Amino acid sequence: MQFLYSGLTSGSVYGLVALGFNIIYNTTGIINFAQGEFVMIGGMLIYTLFAVMGLPFPIAFIGAVGGAFVMGILFEKVFIRLTKIKNELNLITVTIAASIIIRDLAMHFWGRDSLPVKEFIPVFNIQLPGGVMSSQSILVIAVSLFVAFGLNMFLKKSKYGKAMRASFDDPIAAETCGINVSNIRVMSFGVAALLGAVAGVIIAPIMFVTYDDGIMTGLKGFAAAILGGMGNFGAAIAGGLLLGILESFSASIIPSGLKDAVAFIVILIILFVKPDGLFGKKKVHRV
Amino acid sequence: MLEVKSLHVSYGGVQALTNVSVHVSKGEFVSLIGSNGAGKTTLLNSIMNIVGKQKGTAIFDGKDVTKFGTSQIVTSGMALVPEGRRVFSNMSVLENLEMGGFKRPAAEVKNKLEEIVKMFPVLGERGYQMAGMLSGGEQQMLAIGRALMSNPRILLMDEPSMGLAPLVIKEVYEKLKVLAESGLTILLVEQNASMALKYAQRGYVLENGRIIMQGKASELLGDNEVKRAYLGKEYKEKWER
Ligand SMILES: Nc1ncnc2c1ncn2[C@@H]1O[C@H](COP(=O)(O)OP(=O)(O)O)[C@@H](O)[C@H]1O
Ligand SMILES: [Mg+2]
Repeated sequence: MQFLYSGLTSGSVYGLVALGFNIIYNTTGIINFAQGEFVMIGGMLIYTLFAVMGLPFPIAFIGAVGGAFVMGILFEKVFIRLTKIKNELNLITVTIAASIIIRDLAMHFWGRDSLPVKEFIPVFNIQLPGGVMSSQSILVIAVSLFVAFGLNMFLKKSKYGKAMRASFDDPIAAETCGINVSNIRVMSFGVAALLGAVAGVIIAPIMFVTYDDGIMTGLKGFAAAILGGMGNFGAAIAGGLLLGILESFSASIIPSGLKDAVAFIVILIILFVKPDGLFGKKKVHRV
Repeated sequence: MLEVKSLHVSYGGVQALTNVSVHVSKGEFVSLIGSNGAGKTTLLNSIMNIVGKQKGTAIFDGKDVTKFGTSQIVTSGMALVPEGRRVFSNMSVLENLEMGGFKRPAAEVKNKLEEIVKMFPVLGERGYQMAGMLSGGEQQMLAIGRALMSNPRILLMDEPSMGLAPLVIKEVYEKLKVLAESGLTILLVEQNASMALKYAQRGYVLENGRIIMQGKASELLGDNEVKRAYLGKEYKEKWER
């Protein structure tokens, strides 16, 4: 049971990152390999605003995720917008280059050391059937589920959320409705960055924040998205939780140094055996 | 009301429209016919600026909309029912309609929605179903309803008969007739020349990206050249079936 609990904690973070991958995949058809960098940015911003400047947590939280949202928008306006020929290969290459630039900038701002962020809530352990969970871990799971639920409501109920789904569904038809699809694309980068930053903030007190966190988190979120099946939000969360649990259980059978390999083994197995993901629908071809 | 002048459009060097001029007066129902690949869709898409214009102008209600973005064109009072309907298949029927009114204030959207459901009862009955589950005819009604949600003064229709059974085609055209009689201006493009010309007042014939004929719809229907090139084939196809 203990493995399950720790798996759910890291899994919900992967789920949030996987959601970010999905949103951008849906609007642009690409994998944004800089997605993990926004998790790092979220962690770094909460370090600066909360741990260094000592702002009250709610304000620091809004500052961190709001800052990441703006960076996501700038990311689209600079890296994606300026790419002349927007085919998938070019855009994916651009996101990889951008992720390296962001990481290097972060190293200059925040240095190479792992930075500690103190807890935002009182820390205590909660006794659960077959194991314990810290209040921190429960917060991580609760926030992730809450954010996933909030995103779902945004997409289902709000006018702009619906416009986003319309643009995923058929960008040309969306244009004919008067929806400015390129603005929607910009917004999707902002929302994806925000989701990543939420993950970065809530995980910061559990794991230190380091400038190069984005690589591993990004790849695991990607593995979760592939595991669930691209283009499906519920599946992203499920894929994240499943990956977290797999990782956690594998620690009991393989050396813990190999724990990170689990995500990549998962990617390979899925791509070999079930390329649409566990819960994925058959891909529809975009025109 | 709509005046398209000397329009040239090309796709990466391949000329799709050459010097096309079309005008539609207020309250008119105009059909433009042409065979597959003639450039009908290109014409409507370039008026809406979904496809870029190489040369030429589009004046709508005295306003030069040549360089307007698609969303601005919709705001100015034009709406397109695209070829193949292109409903949002993973969204409900009501959500589809709501998206059609994206640029309109919420109160107006609500009124318009009621109006459209009254006109197309089937859209009300299936309001909460995913649009992808509807039949082709129902999807066509939905696409028309969605376009009407923006409260347009002119409706551009691309190939409404595509893939539909003859009875359903008739039903769609009857709805268009009602809309036209209520004062909506319509520019329709079609391969199905007999239907398109039967319901229109005026028509154009597009061939290889050029307008080769224009005139009263009834005269075009009776024209020997049109009969041979556009109606003849259909009649023959009917025989073969
Ligand atoms: N996106 C495109 N890229 C290149 N050529 C195109 C494109 N769309 C249409 N065409 C070409 O332009 C011509 C006109 O096409 P279209 O406007 O779709 O004709 P229609 O609607 O009358 O069938 C055709 O020769 C077609 O092959
Ligand atoms: Mg066409």
